[in-house]
Amino acid sequence: MSIGSPDSTVGVEEHPASAEPVRTAATPHGKSPSRIAFDRLRKDKVAVICASIVLFFILVAVLAPLLAKLEGQDISTFNTRQIDEFGYPTIGITPDHWFGIEPKTGRDNFARWVYGARPSLIIAFLATVVGTAIGVVMGLLAGFLGGWVDRVISWLIDFVLSLPFLLFAIALVPIVESLRGGSFNLTPEDQANIRFYVLIFVLAFFGWAGLARIIRGEVLSLREREFVLAAKAIGVPTWQVLFKELLPNLVAPIVISASLAVPAYVTAEAGLSFLGVGLVEPKPSWGQTIAVATNWYKADPLYLWLPVIGITALVLALALLGDAIRDAFDPKTRR
Amino acid sequence: MLYFVARRLVSALSVVLATLIATFALFFIAPTDPAAAICGERNCTQQRYEEITKNLHLDRPKVEQFADYTIGIFAGRDFTTSGVTQHCAAPCLGFSFKNDRPVTELIGSRFPVTLSLVLGYAVLVLTIGVFVGSMAAKRRGSLGDRALMTSTLVVSSVPYYIVALMVALYLTIVYPILPRGEWTPPSENFGKFIAGLLTPWLVLGIYNCTSYARYSRGSMVETLSEDYIRTARAKGLSDRVVTYKHALRSGLIPVVTIFGLDIAGSLGGAIFTERIFDLPGLGQLVLDSLNNYDLPVIMGTVLVASVIIVAMNFLVDIGYSLIDPRVRLS
Repeated sequence: MSIGSPDSTVGVEEHPASAEPVRTAATPHGKSPSRIAFDRLRKDKVAVICASIVLFFILVAVLAPLLAKLEGQDISTFNTRQIDEFGYPTIGITPDHWFGIEPKTGRDNFARWVYGARPSLIIAFLATVVGTAIGVVMGLLAGFLGGWVDRVISWLIDFVLSLPFLLFAIALVPIVESLRGGSFNLTPEDQANIRFYVLIFVLAFFGWAGLARIIRGEVLSLREREFVLAAKAIGVPTWQVLFKELLPNLVAPIVISASLAVPAYVTAEAGLSFLGVGLVEPKPSWGQTIAVATNWYKADPLYLWLPVIGITALVLALALLGDAIRDAFDPKTRR
Repeated sequence: MLYFVARRLVSALSVVLATLIATFALFFIAPTDPAAAICGERNCTQQRYEEITKNLHLDRPKVEQFADYTIGIFAGRDFTTSGVTQHCAAPCLGFSFKNDRPVTELIGSRFPVTLSLVLGYAVLVLTIGVFVGSMAAKRRGSLGDRALMTSTLVVSSVPYYIVALMVALYLTIVYPILPRGEWTPPSENFGKFIAGLLTPWLVLGIYNCTSYARYSRGSMVETLSEDYIRTARAKGLSDRVVTYKHALRSGLIPVVTIFGLDIAGSLGGAIFTERIFDLPGLGQLVLDSLNNYDLPVIMGTVLVASVIIVAMNFLVDIGYSLIDPRVRLS
């Protein structure tokens, strides 16, 4: 199906995960809703193309050392000989340097580009996993237990959602660094590592609340259903009801929310690095390269365009894939 | 209704209080040495360090420090630096020992920039977004509708700062089609003020109108299928009156809700726009403060932005319940 379908404006929360699979002649009995969604996804051309682009970037990230070795360069060698006295590179694209070299330092662009795919993907995926896990547990507890647990968690959700995300992310960086003795006393490697974990923490901290709210709403309606009442009646322990009875019925909202979170986190990570609060040297990262490259974009456009194209293609593919996944899980668009 | 307002007010105030405590904890309890953190690690003299400790009573219990800070917000407090006592009038959000000025003053001097940016953006995004959305809803399912909705999805999937950066570099500098972003106070030269903000307004407005178009399209599609619209048509009203007078009114309610929250968020979060177009607003203030480790300024800005968001949330809820009485019951 096409990405601009009339129902693509519908939000995640409106799609009941609990919807029974629509059993028509075309969908044989015994197919789970996830199976049906996956089958629909496979027939969606946009989704397949986007998935291959995402796969390409994952391969680039995983095989980064191999690709750099193939080219014969690494990320930290300063080729100062190919840099003129004003810092401009004297060479363009050569067999030695496939994408040219960085202005001023002369490091290899290709090697830094393939390594730059790593932090974007790792941070986004880790933050999604952590945020989704917290969101699911909080939502399940709030919705199922009700009472004061629900009130506390709902208040927490409101609280997190009313914090200004960007500002808090910026504020957290110097605080965490001062805990470790201040950025002045840290080696560049330590600072880069701290920033890496701070980013995952910040993204997950702000990411769980939205999902928790959706899960809570779903659980509120699910817990009155017969199968849950039956499980409770025969004395199944609460945790088992939560994770064995309820969780399988929440696959759709969880998958949808996670697939929409990944592109958002890639965007956020690169954006924060662009502002100077994300990853720092010596870790190669696209966002940070863009920030530096804006000083050289006239003399060395390739230096700027490489990370720009990387982020744009990756985020676009992830976002359109997320949208296709949402449509595939949506019972309203089932034909 | 009164009960509903009171309940929402209590919950809004509790969130504000929690934000206050959370920011205070973040800036005064988390760092092992708040005085050193506030002083900044580069060029912090011993004298300045002691001044900060004395001014903020950092040698006293944390609860007392928190009380000091909170009282300062409502009653103001005094700070002494290099022998000069400065009064920080209420609402005092702390003192920037880097700039020798109260944080409130610094924020106040930058706020007009962000406010002008957000107001212009608000007008643009609402008019373009709602117009495009309702046009698409009227021609639902047509080729134009599908093309429009596909393009909004694609545009909104590209990171905002990439779009803004490319426009800034290529359309204002390399090919100067649009004026460069710069800040001129409107009282000084109104023409220059508009010209300097034109490009940021356009970029913000056109990029973000995509999501508004999708929201208003969705809500208009629903409204256009209601019975009273059929009645209006049956009465023989013209298509324009039906769409823009009858349908748009109720179709806009959910859009206005999102609009309120978006504006509140932008007031604290126009950071990318300000950075890329070189506008000295609140976002730029935070980034500058980060570079010289001026923690009180960051703390003050975080607080102001949170309060704006909570207040806007509250207003939107109240406004919504006035329009739609069903909200009050839930």
